[in-house]
Amino acid sequence: MLAYLTGRLLALLPVLLVVGAVVFLLIHLTPGDPARVLLGQDATPEQVQALRHDLGLDRPLIVQFGLWLARAVRGDLGLSIFQHVPVTDDILQHAGPTVMLSLLAITVALLIGIPAGVVSAVFRNSWLDQGSLALAMLGAAVPSFWLGLSLIVVFAVNLGWLPSSGYRSLSQGAGLSLHYLLLPALALGLPNSSLIIRFTRSSLLDVIGNDYIRTARAKGVNERAVIFHHAFRNALVPILTVVGLTFAALMGGAVVTETVFSLPGVGQLVVSSVLRRDYPVIQGVILMVGTIYVLINLGVDLLYFLVDPRVKY
Amino acid sequence: MAQGALFSPAVSPARPGAAGLLWRMVRRRRITGVGAALILIVVLGALAAPVLAPYDPVALNVPDRLLGPRDAHPFGTDEFGRDILSRTLYGARLSLLVGALVTALAATAGVLVGLAAGSSPRADRILMRIMDGLMAFPDVLLAIGLMAALGPSARNVVLSLGFVYTPRIARVVRAAVLVVIRLEYVEAARAVGASGARILARHILVNCASPVIVQGTFITAYAMLGEAALSFLGVGVPPQVPTWGGIISAGQVYLRQAPWISLFPGVAIIVSVLALNLLGDGLRDFLDPRLRYS
Repeated sequence: MLAYLTGRLLALLPVLLVVGAVVFLLIHLTPGDPARVLLGQDATPEQVQALRHDLGLDRPLIVQFGLWLARAVRGDLGLSIFQHVPVTDDILQHAGPTVMLSLLAITVALLIGIPAGVVSAVFRNSWLDQGSLALAMLGAAVPSFWLGLSLIVVFAVNLGWLPSSGYRSLSQGAGLSLHYLLLPALALGLPNSSLIIRFTRSSLLDVIGNDYIRTARAKGVNERAVIFHHAFRNALVPILTVVGLTFAALMGGAVVTETVFSLPGVGQLVVSSVLRRDYPVIQGVILMVGTIYVLINLGVDLLYFLVDPRVKY
Repeated sequence: MAQGALFSPAVSPARPGAAGLLWRMVRRRRITGVGAALILIVVLGALAAPVLAPYDPVALNVPDRLLGPRDAHPFGTDEFGRDILSRTLYGARLSLLVGALVTALAATAGVLVGLAAGSSPRADRILMRIMDGLMAFPDVLLAIGLMAALGPSARNVVLSLGFVYTPRIARVVRAAVLVVIRLEYVEAARAVGASGARILARHILVNCASPVIVQGTFITAYAMLGEAALSFLGVGVPPQVPTWGGIISAGQVYLRQAPWISLFPGVAIIVSVLALNLLGDGLRDFLDPRLRYS
């Protein structure tokens, strides 16, 4: 187990290095002097010169990358041009709504995806199966931002049940927080349930074809226990993989959903930073999300161990 | 030829045309026909936009602003009195063009990377680590970062999304090359003295076509969704050009008075993406049943 874990962590290093390199190179794609770009238009030539020296822009690109990476690893992502605060602080301040939205949205995606997938597999080729698959097809085609606007029109504008925008943190009460986050979580969770439906269905169908399921049925185990005790637990490993993938895709989708519902999260931070050309913040957010994605995938791999005792490291 | 057919079900001795292939695909899965028909309608609508659109998509006509759907304006009008039907039709042109160009770019780059990685273990280690790193970013977020660096324009949307989707093609091409390169006919080609480049181009590349076509169809769908998201956020195609994402974004302000502005372009996105996904599923079943849900 320990050897596996060490190997797995070491294998992460090249991926994280590429993630860092992509984010580092972003700034060199922009036309003009990176120091000028980083400091913004109102910087004095002296400031630009000082930063050029600081970043070592006169040195070879690979050295610059090393310096940048050494800072990033210590959590130093530079200063925001617009707010003049450390980028790390800026991101942490905006993390709350994004974390809440992502967790609620993955909950929605799981609450729809797993039951629909199980029903689809158990009643294969019935109208329930067709319906679940149609839902999955539709979910994969609906842009989450459009779904968000449609939900606003129905539930906020016409019915007046839920607020159309804004955010209340957990400290202001869990109920109130949920009240504000429900529509965004639905808008983001529904489209993301489609992969979970398809994977749950196919994974469960694979397992149901096995001999031990026939044995369980033959010895008279009731159908519910067969599905949940014998089949579903064995179908979980592929489902977990796709949940990890969905969670990562969802963090990207959160960027767009936050804009629709005016949630003051990381997504809104990055979009407003693009519009005001605040490159250190853009770099910081992308680096952080890329790193979290890699760590989520690691977490999913380790979960296999808990779910499936056959998986030995 | 009989040998070749064993390895590649796509190349049958009779070589039916595109219509024949489509017919056989539809016979296997009828819904594929629905997908193909829908995508044909969207493409024809985009091509014939100048003929079909009842109004100029960009000319202002303020007296007719924010009109609901009616005979003169089936999809209603926006805050400048522009006809939403006409704008949606013209939006299809840009959306499809971006989808097609992104797919072409990602397929070209992905095939090159995949061929290199599949045929050289040394290149494989480096290239696939880079592809893994690129796939560690959510699609839209990496595209936003690239758009921030390159600046908003249709050309840059194509470059950004093409870059973002290259690893998906590279992966399937690499996997196909690793299988094909061990087959006997490659060894035979080498034995008769064909050069490495000729073997790659004439013998290996053609047998990677199926996964590229299948992935390419899905990438067109992702790219259309991605372009809509970027333009919706205001970091994609500049708002002067009618795009589905852009129209939806403009309609957001008038959601209470004029929800139809955002409604119809959204339906257009759903129909196009659904159609491409149905077609992609059909192609996957037909060209390579083993690749299901990969």
